[in-house]
Amino acid sequence: MIDAVPLLALRAATKRYNGIPALLNASLDLLSGEVHALMGENGAGKSTLIKLLAGVIAADSIQLTLRGESTTIPDPQAAYRLGLRFIYQELNVVPQLSAAENIFLNQPYPTRLGMFISWRHLHDEAKAALESIGAGHIATNSPMARLSPGDQMLVCIARAFLSADGSSASIYIMDEPTAALSRHEVESLFRVIGNLRQQECAILYVSHRMDEIFTIADRVTVLRDGQVIASQPIAEVTPDELISQMIGRKLQSAFPPRQANSEDKRDSSPVLEVNQLTTHDLRDISFELHMGEILGVAGLVGSGRTELLRALMGVDRPSQGEMRLDAQPIKRRTPTNAWHNGIVYVPEERRAQGLILSRSISDNITLPHLRYFSHLGIFQDRPAESRLTRDLGAAVNLRSTGHRQHTRELSGGNQQKVVFARALARSPRVMLLDEPTRGIDMGAKFDIYSLIRQASASGAGILMVSSDLPELIGLCDRILVMRRGQLVNTVEAAELTEEKLLALCYGEVRRDAS
Amino acid sequence: MTPAKPAAPRIGRFLRVFGTLIGFLIVVMIFWLQRPETFMTARNLLNITQQMSALGVVAFTMTIVMVLGDFDLSVGAMASLAGIVAALLFQNGQPILVGVIAALLAGMFGGLLNGFLVSFVGVSPFVATLGTLTMFSGVAFYISDGTTIFGRAIPADFSSFALGGIPIGMVDERPVLLPNLTIVALIVLILVWILLEQTVFGRRLYAIGGNREAARLGGVRVRLLRLIAFVITGIGAAFAGLMLVSRLASANPTQGDGLMLNAIAAVFLGMTMSEEGEPHVLGTLLGVLILGVLVNGLTQMQIDSYIQQILTGAIIVLAVVLSSLSRRGR
Repeated sequence: MIDAVPLLALRAATKRYNGIPALLNASLDLLSGEVHALMGENGAGKSTLIKLLAGVIAADSIQLTLRGESTTIPDPQAAYRLGLRFIYQELNVVPQLSAAENIFLNQPYPTRLGMFISWRHLHDEAKAALESIGAGHIATNSPMARLSPGDQMLVCIARAFLSADGSSASIYIMDEPTAALSRHEVESLFRVIGNLRQQECAILYVSHRMDEIFTIADRVTVLRDGQVIASQPIAEVTPDELISQMIGRKLQSAFPPRQANSEDKRDSSPVLEVNQLTTHDLRDISFELHMGEILGVAGLVGSGRTELLRALMGVDRPSQGEMRLDAQPIKRRTPTNAWHNGIVYVPEERRAQGLILSRSISDNITLPHLRYFSHLGIFQDRPAESRLTRDLGAAVNLRSTGHRQHTRELSGGNQQKVVFARALARSPRVMLLDEPTRGIDMGAKFDIYSLIRQASASGAGILMVSSDLPELIGLCDRILVMRRGQLVNTVEAAELTEEKLLALCYGEVRRDAS
Repeated sequence: MTPAKPAAPRIGRFLRVFGTLIGFLIVVMIFWLQRPETFMTARNLLNITQQMSALGVVAFTMTIVMVLGDFDLSVGAMASLAGIVAALLFQNGQPILVGVIAALLAGMFGGLLNGFLVSFVGVSPFVATLGTLTMFSGVAFYISDGTTIFGRAIPADFSSFALGGIPIGMVDERPVLLPNLTIVALIVLILVWILLEQTVFGRRLYAIGGNREAARLGGVRVRLLRLIAFVITGIGAAFAGLMLVSRLASANPTQGDGLMLNAIAAVFLGMTMSEEGEPHVLGTLLGVLILGVLVNGLTQMQIDSYIQQILTGAIIVLAVVLSSLSRRGR
């Protein structure tokens, strides 16, 4: 197999964003008749590589050969002409349109006389595409909004199997296609992939699910920090080895030292008790958070981590189950009440969910606390707000031109410090942190780590979601592991390695089978 | 705290914020030079403020919903309806106070309906208030039989209010009055300014307008505040309707219809004055004055009223375009 000319070969692919490499000198061979798995942690460069192949972004440098001939992919149309087809993990659908029209979303509709849409052809061809992936049960005329998430995903997948214009596809790139599919649908997709392999097509298959990789893939390439770490036949590697390859020997960032023994904290009464919390996305979650404890939440994207914090904050309703703060049940679960009770929140998307970018640092910090920094709870008390903002700005080591500066003008790290200052303004009881250091530089990261430690030392209970495993292990006392909306494990951070934690997040192959 | 970024170039920033004000002063200068005898006189200027008072009240309270990023198309119809409600009660011999309270209640319930649809049902403000505009207008026609109520039906005490004012000096041996309606509009202006700029309520409204999701996650009761904002705007519209009845000593079911577009235009003109493009009520005041001065000055220059409309519209578009151009690329 190694001797064969690759169907598609990618060499020396580099892409930098603001000087930071997302992909560095990466190489990849796709052979005819192989399913090639691509693995790596969040941010390892998988998406960047796929976008380069799709012609969505331009590489800083890249050499592409298709069947031994040099080529380029300047735009998505070129990718299509070269016979590349893409299946993305996100559902990009128009809910109001029919399944058939959604299949033709990026294609010209078949016409009669070059003017009038030929609805019969449209539906026939959509039907054929659906049947080719074993999804013939979907009615092509039913509105997208009426289909189940799994069926909607199948419609998206069917796009790649449309042969309307007679063009032939030979390379399929699938980015986590099974995220929304049931077991039965996954099996039928795997049969399709098996057929494609027999037709000498090449499939690049991105997935986080170890069991899928070992079921379907012939070879696996691992990306880490934008570089290809290994590319090997699947038979020559074990799941544990793959996980080590994904994690590698990363530079450990320095974490501020732990203050108290984790066991001592557990003796104190819990500040937050959660019993059988259930929402649309979560099932039966129970845990205790103690004073001064830093409790991590680990899990893959989509495992329900963010949803857990949102449910505790009272953002997504309705939720069932019980929440107790300092042994008192919380009745009205709303964000307003949560802030009032000292449950504070640092959301995942600081620009979209955290900050009012058009307002000043001061306005952003005081927003949830206005009633405590006002006259009679009605009139603004600017001097009090300024004092608070100045004190907190110094405490979080904020760099700005003054507390009236608009948050839009701050760097990512300083914006995050504003969101933290807001959370710290009135000695919080419980801090809910969602990816608190995502996308900020190392210096700001260390400042944030110190703030989290300080808050825990002053008695707050901290629940922290992070995809950065060294961060979770280095900072937390215990770690909750979530999978598919459920709490599957609680582990002591001190006993953990990254390998173990990642294996818990994925769920080991053998355990999934049983 | 240490400096993190140099300030934006000062000239650009100055023009961005004060461009509309400079444009306004230029327009005033032109009218002054063209009609030196009649335009820049105390009496004429006070007359302008009186003519613009109802529009001012609608525009000031419209600013509140526009701070939220919403708007209310039903204010004109509500002003007409409130005027009709009051006039009908006057016609039936009810005391002035009863008519005034009933009109304001109509405004409150109209605002509640708008706010409920927008905030709790989730209808877009455009669709919701377009629908209620038609409803309010229909109710006004229905209860008035489509007629104008005037003459004896409107109590003299009520209509004379608009004629009166506080003497502030003498010109040509006649007293110059600060018109009552102007005073009323100024009071509304001050109340709205306090509400938006000095209370925690106003701060929360600006937060919602800046980023609704972040405001909600930050503990702001977004739905309740949007409802309240629409109620205030509805009451403001009804109040303006009463001011029109007093000034014109009559009420008809289309009397306030013109207020809506002009009020929105005034808020937009005012938004060109703020760095971030947010509505502020003092900016809205400038917007109202620009519209008032334009109508007055162009009329004095005997320019055809249709041409006046074209010019006014063009000036609004120009101001907003220039302001968004200067903001681009930031």
